Amino acid sequence: MKQILIKRLLQLIMMMWSVGTITFILSRLLPGDMAYRIAAGRYGDDAVSAAAASAVRQELGLNDPLWQQYSHWLWQLMQLDLGDSLVSGNSIIAELQHQLGYTLILAVAAIFLSALIAVPWGLACGFRANRTLDRVSLVVSTLLRSQPVFCLGLLMILLFALTLNWFPVAGYQQPAHLFLPALTLALSLAALSSRVIRNSTAKVINSDFYLFAKVKGLSEWHSFKRHGIRNIALPVVAFMAMQLVGLIEGVIMVESLFAWPGIGHGLSHAVFSRDIPMLQGTALTCGALFVIINTLVDSLCYLLDPRSRRA
Amino acid sequence: MSRLFHALTLGQRCGALLLLSLLAAAWLVPLFGYNQPNVQHLSAAFAPISAAQPLGADQFGRDMLARLAAAVRLSFGLSLLCVGSAAVFGILLGVVAAWSQPWCDKLLNFIANTVMALPGLVLVLLISGIAPGSFIMLYLGIALTLWVEYFRVVRATVQPLVHSPEIECSRLLGFGRWYLFKRHIWPAIASNVLTLAAFGAATSILMMASTGFVYAGLKPPTAELGLMIVELFPYFAEATWVLIQPLCVLVLMVLGFNLLAGQKA
Amino acid sequence: MSALITLDNVTVAAADNVLVQPLSLSVNRGEPLTILGETGSGKSLLAQAIMGTLPASLTMQGTVSIQQQPLDIAARRQLWGKQISMLPQEPWQALDPVMPCEQQVSEVFRYVGNAAAASAQLAARAQLDQVGLSQVSRQLPQQLSGGMAQRVAFAAATAAGAPIIIADEPTKGLDTSQRDGIVQLLKSQTQHGGLLTITHDVDVARQLGGRIMVMRHGQLLESGSAEQVLSQPQAEYTRALINAQPQFWPAATPATAQQPLLDVTDLAQHRGEQLLFQGLSFSLSAGEILGVYGDSGCGKSTLGDTLLGLLPPASGHIKWQQPLHRSQMLKLYQDPPASFSTAVTIGTLLKDLLKRHKLAASAIAPLLRQLNLDAALLNRTAKDVSGGELQRLALLRTMLLSPKFLVADEPSSRLDPITAQQLTQLLVRLAREQQCALVLISHDKIQLQKVCDQIIDLKDYQLREVQA
Repeated sequence: MKQILIKRLLQLIMMMWSVGTITFILSRLLPGDMAYRIAAGRYGDDAVSAAAASAVRQELGLNDPLWQQYSHWLWQLMQLDLGDSLVSGNSIIAELQHQLGYTLILAVAAIFLSALIAVPWGLACGFRANRTLDRVSLVVSTLLRSQPVFCLGLLMILLFALTLNWFPVAGYQQPAHLFLPALTLALSLAALSSRVIRNSTAKVINSDFYLFAKVKGLSEWHSFKRHGIRNIALPVVAFMAMQLVGLIEGVIMVESLFAWPGIGHGLSHAVFSRDIPMLQGTALTCGALFVIINTLVDSLCYLLDPRSRRA
Repeated sequence: MSRLFHALTLGQRCGALLLLSLLAAAWLVPLFGYNQPNVQHLSAAFAPISAAQPLGADQFGRDMLARLAAAVRLSFGLSLLCVGSAAVFGILLGVVAAWSQPWCDKLLNFIANTVMALPGLVLVLLISGIAPGSFIMLYLGIALTLWVEYFRVVRATVQPLVHSPEIECSRLLGFGRWYLFKRHIWPAIASNVLTLAAFGAATSILMMASTGFVYAGLKPPTAELGLMIVELFPYFAEATWVLIQPLCVLVLMVLGFNLLAGQKA
Repeated sequence: MSALITLDNVTVAAADNVLVQPLSLSVNRGEPLTILGETGSGKSLLAQAIMGTLPASLTMQGTVSIQQQPLDIAARRQLWGKQISMLPQEPWQALDPVMPCEQQVSEVFRYVGNAAAASAQLAARAQLDQVGLSQVSRQLPQQLSGGMAQRVAFAAATAAGAPIIIADEPTKGLDTSQRDGIVQLLKSQTQHGGLLTITHDVDVARQLGGRIMVMRHGQLLESGSAEQVLSQPQAEYTRALINAQPQFWPAATPATAQQPLLDVTDLAQHRGEQLLFQGLSFSLSAGEILGVYGDSGCGKSTLGDTLLGLLPPASGHIKWQQPLHRSQMLKLYQDPPASFSTAVTIGTLLKDLLKRHKLAASAIAPLLRQLNLDAALLNRTAKDVSGGELQRLALLRTMLLSPKFLVADEPSSRLDPITAQQLTQLLVRLAREQQCALVLISHDKIQLQKVCDQIIDLKDYQLREVQA
């Protein structure tokens, strides 16, 4: 367990370093004078003057040698001083805190919904592997998986919001606003995880030990309860780590599409408005979120599998 | 070639057929004169279907058929480039990691873990977001996220193989490393690598469209599927038919690659 | 005597061919019945047919009666655990990998016997004690040896009180000592109930006693009391099967004095922290055959790899009296398919080898004849060749390089007895003819005594506790 935590902590640090370094390098590689760009970002294109640019240059130490700028950049990063947004002028940390809450609500709702869809769906297909239901659901899942999340979201909007008028398109004030983005994300997650659950189920119920449980005299239900659930869950939970990539990427796209004011929305806005401190901050948060959830999944695997504790 | 075809499942054949027809269409369309994806006819915005514009026109009166064909060529080209370089790089490092000294393996694995700490799309957005509109940056970002998968899979497959009887036996019989790779390692990883390649192609197409969709990828007026979708979306009510076209093409391309990859999740 | 299981004209068939010809038998209380036969003889299908676990692609005809009641599959499934139970072939796979052993037994008392949790646990402990396992209650299956896992499986399978046990190759892959323990356990079962054992091992059949049925290619060849079948076999196949046991092998002619090849002095070897053997000294001449004996995991294979130079010795010296080329020191593997690339045909692999060592293609044909192999096999991949043929092809591959030193690591342990005998004798003959020193590793001491010039029992070189 300690090893898992140390490994993930190291990964977190490396992630912060690499995000910081990439943003530093790329922001210096951009064509044009950086001080002018930042000044333009702050005061608008029309108000930029040589004086404003040199003030910015002075303030940010853009005349220092590169390695000094780089170590300064990393030093600030280590202190979690992410600077201010070039667009709004607010502190990045404050903005991120605000966004993170929304993202967490969306992510939790989506995971919950996707479990609600995928578990029964996957189990049903696993118990009737290669029958009609299973084949049909393979087609459905393949079709769903071939949709980029934003296509799925657009279809949801077209269907539920604009044609049927059941749910609002975009916004975040009411709980009803949560439904379409969460459902979109949940469907795209469930398309894949239902197949993983199906494969795991089929493998377990056809395994020697599952047959032996019944040979011992256990009923179907007891065999499933005692020997099915945990063994089916193990690969599924391990797979969740891989699906997290899909979750974070999905969050970015879905938030942008539905104007849900979370981290992903912040990230795509920062990209659009070239708000480099904001870009770095949101990328860091996405990465941190990713590593943290991964750690949770690892720990869950560890708790579920007694083998890992006695190896 | 026919042997290869017979080895494929029904789904894989469908995928291959889908992709081949899309590719053929994308390259044939310009030959029939639909070769001006970026010429605007503002008076002909959302012009209906005609012989000159078989799929109609978009909000600037540009020929949809020509634009779609250009977008498909772009997506295919980029995905091929990304998958190719990621596969070569990833396989090479994976084999090296599994086959060499423990410190080298640890180092390579550490690098891979660092890259994996960031979801692919975040990395791509980060890189392409700071230098928007650059094809090279987009390519670098996507290839950088893709190689890790090859590395991990190849390393995991080759590691137990290095100490297997079959390789030990070939070594005792006097064969060198290239032979071991050709006869033992490549056959063991080939099918996985091809599956990964198909999934990787789908992923890179999706990523490119996603960056386009949030205006972080290539810049207008480039005909790129994600960009086309987001630009057409405001007009969904008056031109649903036009909006559906790039959506469908995108789904078909990704579907084709997913089918080609086979059922392995 | 009351019949516990009766089979009346039972056949098992796939879509296009019959896998088990019509067969009738009965298993009586107190009298074990053993079905003896090689892999692929359809004997495991018979066990599955009785239990009702045949794969859906196979069909069964005829009637199966339990306690003289003809029952269909659904009705037989109702009796699982309570009336009839089965011991698995692969005990590791039959136990839940993530549940401690004791729970896998106690749950039977709990949910089948409807006992309270505490008393179920006590009953499970008593049951495990009875099979000689009192220390394993919290262990997971992967922490047990094969023999121990089979004991846990036995305890679990009989926990619900089934008087009838079907044991499908219960001793597969076990050492002699572990095997004998399982056989004793099974015999104790017959005092109160019925036992149907399926095995390829003549020793197991002999120890169990009772009645024996010999099967081959899905057909019953003969049946009778164990004594009668084993001492006066009627069918030719049964005779061959019995004679393939090492104790009936003809003794090989001893080696004549030869040039010395190898001197080993005071050799010791570790695996991790564990000392495997120490103080090992011997010398070997060209054409001589050295047997290495020991239980699984004692370091036999490690010794072979050390001699081949694949592992550095922990201490001691290995001195070659003649200079050997690297590719004249070769190895024959336990699992033949694992030592071949399956991507191309065997012929291609041999061609690669000829090219690498600049040998003439004409070298292959005489070896094929000597090893009694069909040239058409070369057009197949290793997947499509039987184990016995593949091991002979592996032997051919090594002989192409005219080795001077060959380590054969349990080369026949995965083969059927008759094939195993043929292979071992071929190996010994070729080694003698080609003046190749052979190190034959085996867990079967009798076999080694029949064919080897000298034998090393690794037990003699293990660390003994120093007495204070």
